Amino acid sequence: MPDKDKMSVEEILAACRRMDGGGSAKSSGDQPTEGDASAQSQGASSAGATEAPATPPPAGPKKKPSEMSVEEILAAARAEKRGGAAAPQESAESSEAASESAQPAAPAAPAKKPSEMSVAEILAAARAEKAKSQASKPAAAAKPKVAPAAKPKPKPKPAAKPASTTSGPLDTASILAAARKPTKRGPVSKEEAARAGKETPAARTAPKVPPMPQKPEFLKPAAKKRESAETRRGFFASLTGIAFGSAMAVGFVSLAVTHLLWVLGFARYMFPNILIEPPSKFKVGFPDVIGPGQVVTKFKARFGVWIVRNEYEGVDQIYALRSVCTHLGCTPNWLEAEQKFKCPCHGSGFYKSGINFEGPAPRPLERYAIRIADDGQLEVDKSRKFQQELGQWSDPQSYVPV
Amino acid sequence: MHGHVDQATFLYQISGFLGYYYLALAAMNGIAALAIWRGGRAKTLFRVGPVVFTNALLWTVVAFFFLLMAPLAMSGSPELMKWVSMPDSFKDAADAVMGPVLYSAGSFIILVILFIFRRFFVKTWVAWLALNLAFLFMGLSMTDPDFAAIVTKPDNVPIVGLIFLLGFFTWLATAKAVKNDERIERGEPPLEAVDNEKILVWPDLVYTELICMIALTAVLLLWGIALQAPLEEPASSVKTPNPSKAPWYFLGLQEMLVYYDPWMAGVVLPSIVIVGLMAIPYLDFNRKGNGYYTINERKFAYLVFQFGFLVLWVTLIVMGTFLRGPNWNFFGFYETWDAHKVVPMNNVDLSEYFWIRWLGMAMPKAPEGSGAGMEFLYILLREAPGILLLLGYFTLVPPALVLYSKFFRGLYRHMGLIRYMVMANLLLLMGLLPIKMVCRWSFDLKYFIAIKEYFLNF
Repeated sequence: MPDKDKMSVEEILAACRRMDGGGSAKSSGDQPTEGDASAQSQGASSAGATEAPATPPPAGPKKKPSEMSVEEILAAARAEKRGGAAAPQESAESSEAASESAQPAAPAAPAKKPSEMSVAEILAAARAEKAKSQASKPAAAAKPKVAPAAKPKPKPKPAAKPASTTSGPLDTASILAAARKPTKRGPVSKEEAARAGKETPAARTAPKVPPMPQKPEFLKPAAKKRESAETRRGFFASLTGIAFGSAMAVGFVSLAVTHLLWVLGFARYMFPNILIEPPSKFKVGFPDVIGPGQVVTKFKARFGVWIVRNEYEGVDQIYALRSVCTHLGCTPNWLEAEQKFKCPCHGSGFYKSGINFEGPAPRPLERYAIRIADDGQLEVDKSRKFQQELGQWSDPQSYVPV
Repeated sequence: MHGHVDQATFLYQISGFLGYYYLALAAMNGIAALAIWRGGRAKTLFRVGPVVFTNALLWTVVAFFFLLMAPLAMSGSPELMKWVSMPDSFKDAADAVMGPVLYSAGSFIILVILFIFRRFFVKTWVAWLALNLAFLFMGLSMTDPDFAAIVTKPDNVPIVGLIFLLGFFTWLATAKAVKNDERIERGEPPLEAVDNEKILVWPDLVYTELICMIALTAVLLLWGIALQAPLEEPASSVKTPNPSKAPWYFLGLQEMLVYYDPWMAGVVLPSIVIVGLMAIPYLDFNRKGNGYYTINERKFAYLVFQFGFLVLWVTLIVMGTFLRGPNWNFFGFYETWDAHKVVPMNNVDLSEYFWIRWLGMAMPKAPEGSGAGMEFLYILLREAPGILLLLGYFTLVPPALVLYSKFFRGLYRHMGLIRYMVMANLLLLMGLLPIKMVCRWSFDLKYFIAIKEYFLNF
């Protein structure tokens, strides 16, 4: 089903013109008759009726306010206002009502519920009423009851189609042709205006301007000695001129220089001139103070290592585990009660040996190099790492046997 | 984290807030009842003798109910506040059954139910009832110190707002879509297409925008004054807060990281998400639904989007915010965040399952002293089950869908091979996250492919 609520601008214009023409013709024409009035009403409603069926859609005859479009609401409001204003006037005139002549005219548009009328229909209906009240003064306006009587009709009266209009989408050419009719109102050509006795402004004559004085010799630019770009030297000269001479070139060159400086500055920024790392080799005390199965956590805050004494592959050994989760680099915590390292970020868990067993960590914690220094203390070297999955934990530098 | 406040003190502290909370709820329902009554939308529900029970009266009764709760909550005494608290039995039961599986599956099922019965849920009174129930649930739970600590944490307040805002906007969009679908079924144009020739700009739109602007500024100001900025201790490279949470909008991503390697979940999959979103205009050939709300005309696109957004993003954000505690363990709504909670999670790679548990043999390992190329070949052999499984998933499932699903056959006919495969693979990648989650929960699968030697795990 096409958009019944909508009309193209073209159709609205056509409907308006039809109304205009009809109204003027009627006011200057003969007495209104019933047929004329019905044609009139048809013209009024044809805006909606020709393009889209004026009957309410079968499935949704009654619309809830919340389902009405803005257009429909506006239409309803206008229809109500107009109805309210028109009612007393009509009832005043209703004593001499000849309902016969008024009946077809009035109900045609109001037969639809206000909420279902498009703006175009309302406009058309308004004009139709105006024209009707102009035209049918001597006769009578509708009785107030006439309109409601017509309301329950399921369909508006089948249209006796006006000869001038056609149903369905209108042809632009025909509209233009109608617009060019001599009887039209609105803007007119000059000839028409002249024929109508109106004055047209006289054609403007070109103002007389005195000739420009001759340019004196000294003001003329000196003939430049330009090298033609067709010679090779000229070509290079013009190229150089473009590259260095023009203001544009100056702008772009300075832009490039500025960018270069920024890039260089940024590169320098990436290498700050500071050293915050603790020494990569440090001593962590004597091995005999570490009890069996103990995890020393006091070096974690400063150096990022746990010193662990544990049995691994049958050897009781001391090793330094790097306190960086192998999943995403958070710092796990040693949970003494559960005897595991647990990462707070994504829940990876590692045994005391450093082997991963839960959560998303893909591989075990890493070991740092550890040895007994000359003074008998344990010395951790953070510059060397040992990874279990590469089989490096069997390297004697990765642990100190106890 | 809140052990230093005993229950009576806590109740006294929360009582002021709760009292005004229930007063606000009463006012909300009273205003709704008044609006229904004055607007002439009161509908008779049933009659008891001479008393006509309308919906306006119903919401008035609800308002009075909240009005009764307000002084109880405001009293601050444990005996009275017991009446406006969630019963302990319910809290214990909720904590006992709640887990990542139930939470994820449950929210998914609830969303599915909401979708299937959307014609019912878009009704205004149903939505209003659901809103009241949600507020009531929050109010009743607020007397639990663990719940209150999580919900009122300045970090988490926006997430509470997000839940309600998201619920409202999803409801609004669904309501409009359902209305339009009904109109389209009747053969009418959608509401947005009826009066789309002009928009009322001055003063309608401009005033609306002005009011929104002022309201938003006021909310931000009040927020900035009322809630302290969630600043923490100075950052340290060796001390990670426990739990350590990403910004709230990345919590879905953080949840994804639990199931995937950081390289996959942090770089590859988010990039594919972005690329996939960019590919939508080239994959979507459905011309309907342009400029108006509809579900029926774009069911596939709607479902895929809502699955990705509501299920894979929002529910994971909510889970990460409220239900993930220390050590990234799962904690129920009313559970104390105990850093020593033990959750058994021994995860096993697929290759270990295959070689050791099923075939009963050692994992293939390159002989000692072999070159890097040979080692790589052995690694590929070791991970062959996972690699083959994923390759099959991405190459065989799309044609299988074409063969066995009429809908996908239509898509294939419309899109051609390349476009169809791109779309199907994006869909399958999207489905891989819940599949992996289910595998993790149900048989502790860690990775399909685990090439840890080259930091390539999937």
